[in-house]
Amino acid sequence: MAAIVLDKLSKTYKVKVREEGLKSALKSLVKPTYKKVEAVSNVSFSVEAGEMLAFIGPNGAGKSTTIKMLTGILHPTTGSANVLDYNPVKDRRKLSYQIGAVFGQKSQLSFHLPPVDSFRLLSNVYEIDKSEYEGRLARLAELLELGEFMNTPVRKLSLGQRIRCEFAASLLHAPKILFLDEPTIGLDVVVKHNIRELITNLNKEENVTVFLTSHDAGDVENLCRRAIVIDHGKVALDMSVKKMKYDYLNKKVISLRLKAPAAIPEMDGVTPIKVTPYAAKFSVDTRIAPMGKILAALDSENIEDITIEEPPMEEIIASIYKGNRKGGKKE
Amino acid sequence: MRKYMSIAGISIKNSLVYRANVTGRVIFYFVFIFIFFSLWSVIYKGNEIAGYNLTQMVWYICMTELVVFCSGSGIFGSMNHEVKSGSIAYQLIRPWNYIFKKFAEMLGTITFSLSVFTIMAIILGMIFVGPLKDFNPVAIPFIVLSFLLSITMNFFLLMSLGLLAFYFEENSPFYFIYTKLLFVFGMLLPIEFLPVWAQGILRFLPFSLITWAPAKMVVDFSFDHVLKVMPLQAVWCVAAVFLAQFVFSRGIRKVNIHGG
Repeated sequence: MAAIVLDKLSKTYKVKVREEGLKSALKSLVKPTYKKVEAVSNVSFSVEAGEMLAFIGPNGAGKSTTIKMLTGILHPTTGSANVLDYNPVKDRRKLSYQIGAVFGQKSQLSFHLPPVDSFRLLSNVYEIDKSEYEGRLARLAELLELGEFMNTPVRKLSLGQRIRCEFAASLLHAPKILFLDEPTIGLDVVVKHNIRELITNLNKEENVTVFLTSHDAGDVENLCRRAIVIDHGKVALDMSVKKMKYDYLNKKVISLRLKAPAAIPEMDGVTPIKVTPYAAKFSVDTRIAPMGKILAALDSENIEDITIEEPPMEEIIASIYKGNRKGGKKE
Repeated sequence: MRKYMSIAGISIKNSLVYRANVTGRVIFYFVFIFIFFSLWSVIYKGNEIAGYNLTQMVWYICMTELVVFCSGSGIFGSMNHEVKSGSIAYQLIRPWNYIFKKFAEMLGTITFSLSVFTIMAIILGMIFVGPLKDFNPVAIPFIVLSFLLSITMNFFLLMSLGLLAFYFEENSPFYFIYTKLLFVFGMLLPIEFLPVWAQGILRFLPFSLITWAPAKMVVDFSFDHVLKVMPLQAVWCVAAVFLAQFVFSRGIRKVNIHGG
C-alpha cells in the first residue's frame, strides 16, 4: 500500500521583483512586478508504507516545499498529494495525528523546561490516554536511552541528548509517517550512529514510513534503500541507493601496501592518487579498466595488503548534482 | 479543551523562568506610574477635571497600564518573527487551532504577570493617592470581566497585526500606530478629556474599549457605564477573534515565501 502519493505536484511562488536604483524602487512601489518561481514542478512519485526514502537535493531544490505540501502546510498550485488517504490541505488536522516530524535545526521542546513537560503537553495535544502515554514514554525512553536527563531543562542538554528527546517528542503519538529533515545535523559520529540505529529499529518494529531529507550521505547510505534526487523543483533521479551507487560508482579507490617497491599498473582508467615506493593509492574507472584486469596486472606475491573502497556517497551525490546542472538527466 | 489547558499550563511554567524579565517590567511600571503621579499632582489643584479627581486619575492610569502591560505579552513580535522566519510552518503540523493555541499560551503567561501587576497596581495606588473613596466591591466581577474582554480583544488585534507579516514585507508601522492609538485614546487620558464629538466616535472603537472602558469601571463604577461598554467590548472581542482567524487562514497560503 502506498503511504504517500504525489501526482504532478507543482508549486509556483510569486516573488516581487526589485530592480536597482531609486527610480525602479519608486516604480515598484506603485506597480510592483512579480516574477514566477517554480519551486516544485510536476513532481510525481509514491512511497510505500514502511519504506525509507531519501529525498535529497541541493539547497533550494524544493525539498522543504515538497514536505510542506505533504504535511498540508502549503497549498499546491496544481497537482495533488495523497498522504495516508488524506488530502493534506483539506484534512491537515486529521493527518497531523498520523504523522510526526523531526527538524534537526528547529526544536519543538520548551527551551527552559525539562523534556518531560513537553512530552506531557504533546500527549495532551495528541489526546493520548494517560496510561497509554506512560507506556509509550517508557518504551521510547528505553529505545532512545533517555535516562535521567528527561528531567533536566532542555537548555542544559547536549545536542545529542536534545535530539534524542526531539525524536521521543515526535514519536509519542505513534505516527505512521516520520518526516526527518536533517535529523543528524551537527551530531558527532557516535550520536549519529545511535540515531540511525533508532530509525532503523522504528522502521522494523513499527513499520514507520520514513521520509528523510539530509545533506549527510551517511544517512542516505545507511538508512534508505531508495533515493529521490530533486533539483530545480524536478525529480532528477529516482532509483535504489544500491543502483545509484553502482551507476555513479564506476570509480573505486585501491590502496596497496607492497613488500618490495613496484610500479602501479599503467593502463587507461587508472589515475594515481598517491604513490610511494612501498605503498600506492589510485583510482580506477571500472567502465574502462575492469577490476579483473587491474588485479591481474598486479603482482599478487608482492602485495602485503590491499583495500578496495567505494567512493563516499558525498561524491556520488555531488556528481549527480553537477551532471544535472550541466543539463538533463544522466542516464 | 484539554490540550489548550495543557498548553496554558506549560506556558505558566515557562513564564516563571523569566523572572528577570518580570522584574524589569515591574520597575518600568513603577517608573511610569510615578511620572504620571507627579504630572497629575502638578496639574490638579484640589479640583476635578472632566469629572475625575486626582485619586481617580492616578488609579485610572494604574489600571490602563495594567491592561497594556499584561495583554501584549509580545504576541506581535512573536507572530512577526514566526511568519518571517517561516518557523510558523512547523507549528502547523500539530492537531491544534493555531490561533487558539497562541491564545492559550498567552493566558498561561499572563496568569503570572497579571497577578504580579494587579498587586503592584493596588500597592502603588495606595501609596501614591490612597484608596478610592467610592469603591464598591459589587463592581469587582464586572471589572474582572471587562479586563478579560480588554485583554482578549487586544491580544487578537495585536495578533492580526503580527500576522500581516504574511502580506507586507514590513508590518511594524502598523504595530507602532496601533500602540500609539491605544496610548492617546484611553490609556493616557480618559476620553472625557476630549471634545464631545470625538468621545462619540471613540467609545465605539477598540482603542478606548481596551483601556478606558475597564479603567473607568474601577475609578467611577456605574451600571450605566457597564451597559454602555461591555456589549461593545464583547462584540469587538468576537470580531477580533474572527479577524485573526481570517488573516491567518488567508495568510497561511502565502507561508511559502519565507524560508521555503
